[in-house]
Amino acid sequence: MGAAIETLGLTKRYGSLTAVDKLDLRVEENTIHGFLGPNGAGKTTTIKILAGLLKPDRGKVTVLGQELGWDKPGVRLRIGYMPELPKLPKHLKGTELLDIYGRMCGMTKEERKKQIPELLGMVGLGERGNDLIGTYSKGMQQRLGMAQALLNEPKLVILDEPSLGLDPVGMVEVREMMKGISKEGVTVFLSSHLLHEVQEVCTHVTIINKGVALASGTLKEISAKVSGPTIIEAEVDKISRSVVEKVKELPFVIHVSEDGKKLLVELKTRDDVRSQVSQAITAGGGIVISMNVKGESLEDVFMDLLDKRKEGKS
Amino acid sequence: MRASHTRWTVKFLAVIKYEILWNIRKKKFLGMLVVAFALATLSLAGDHIVSALGGPPVEPKPDFVVSSSVGLGGFGFFLFAIATAMNTISAEFESGTIVPLLAKPVSRTTVFFGKLFAAFLTLLATYCFLTVYMAIGGFVVYGPQNNLHLVPLSLLGALFSTLIWISIVLLLGTLSRSSLIAALGALGIWFGTTIIGTIVATLAGQGWILTYIPGTGNSGYANGGLLPSGPTGISVPTGTGVSTGTDSIGPNLINFILHPSWEVTYYKINLGGTTPGQVGWEPLYSEPFSNVVLTSITVALIYFIFFVGISLYVFRRAQVTE
Repeated sequence: MGAAIETLGLTKRYGSLTAVDKLDLRVEENTIHGFLGPNGAGKTTTIKILAGLLKPDRGKVTVLGQELGWDKPGVRLRIGYMPELPKLPKHLKGTELLDIYGRMCGMTKEERKKQIPELLGMVGLGERGNDLIGTYSKGMQQRLGMAQALLNEPKLVILDEPSLGLDPVGMVEVREMMKGISKEGVTVFLSSHLLHEVQEVCTHVTIINKGVALASGTLKEISAKVSGPTIIEAEVDKISRSVVEKVKELPFVIHVSEDGKKLLVELKTRDDVRSQVSQAITAGGGIVISMNVKGESLEDVFMDLLDKRKEGKS
Repeated sequence: MRASHTRWTVKFLAVIKYEILWNIRKKKFLGMLVVAFALATLSLAGDHIVSALGGPPVEPKPDFVVSSSVGLGGFGFFLFAIATAMNTISAEFESGTIVPLLAKPVSRTTVFFGKLFAAFLTLLATYCFLTVYMAIGGFVVYGPQNNLHLVPLSLLGALFSTLIWISIVLLLGTLSRSSLIAALGALGIWFGTTIIGTIVATLAGQGWILTYIPGTGNSGYANGGLLPSGPTGISVPTGTGVSTGTDSIGPNLINFILHPSWEVTYYKINLGGTTPGQVGWEPLYSEPFSNVVLTSITVALIYFIFFVGISLYVFRRAQVTE
């Protein structure tokens, strides 16, 4: 599998502030790749460089196999980009904007005639296409921003906070859209603050902070890189000695402790072993009421990585 | 996958459509259109107003249309340039619409020239309407008109004169990314060159400088001379007033075709004299009218190319941090 995006030593400074610091990033083709980081981490700067809006100070950027040069529109023909809270010209109607952008992308009249109503329908603006964008709500502008990003049948779609400003239904629709276009062979590069959104839709993740990539890979790979055991937190009706002993006998268990009605099982593996633990508890005479895995959620990994970074600095 | 060799003209026309829709749907532009027609109407009705206020009766003016510069003077050109160009680049940055626009597969050069050409087309359409309006109005108000075949030169000159101001507004807008700074900066330049510059240069006897900066230019007189006037006997220039600036390209082109042998004489005001012969206007130098026309066109071209060139250079390198 080739890389849809590859940066080597990408650096961007604003005066004395280094927004992106020697960033090495690789986004595999046909994946949904999440790009995570706190505010000011350098996500939008990186994305703007990829979209040709900012010029890097150093480093090499390759997108869809082509090295990115300044003001070289050829590469952008295959990239769909949705900026964070897209500002679209309010004097145009939704259909006019897509028509003009479609012309800029080289779409024929027939293609525009077919695709524009389809896209507007897909983002839920089918009946508002002939209204001025100035009359749209923020959520509707966000949806139109998504439509314009998908206009030219791109091979790579870069989405900067696509769920921002959307209602819960809109957020779910956006996620479904991302999954849908990914199935059609489009690579999605998603910057988002919503960790659960990234966890739900992304196959790969890069976590960035202060312009530096802290980790990159599948969620499982990243979790594995983060030190600290995975802990299963099992709520049991009655914790007896035999329950504890049975769980301790499991080969992947490091330590077992009690916290009220909760049994905390520290694991040496990151595999999903909930069913084995559950069976052991039952074998020991206990009844499992609920079971959570701590340390495997993206939120845990994200916070762990940021904490480590802080510790490393201090 | 779409071919990467989409014709440049298709993209260029798309930018033009984008920009023209922007121009014609902006309320401030429509407001300026109303102001332009109001100025043109004032120009048409001027003699009637003066007559109604006790002035001389209105007489036929067979050369009114050909000398009317589409009904707008230098300030009219300037105002129209502001209305057309103050949003061209800067408003895209201010509103953030530059982000999705420049992320599209269109080169910045295409975007820039598409926007500039759209401004030109907007002007052309407006001035064509104004020209027709003035031609019909002139006929109705001042009777049959002479040399109507030269009216297109008036239109051409008006376009050229406005484009100089457009290039200045565009440059200021591109550098500052602020429509307000573009408009106020251009107003400052207009005020400086046209009002302050004219007063200082005329009093100092250095009016020739005005020929080489955008605006009304130096003032001279053709087909006349210094003649004593009034009870003081102070000599004043007579003849047809000629302005050498970029604002007067249209009238100068027409006058050159009608009067190719004109000689233009420039004067300074002599404030230091003590005798009637010394007080008043003092001739400085003369030049053929062809020089005036050629110089104003050359100056306009140089400024236009220079200002547009710098704007393009800045725009092509602009980093979009918005």
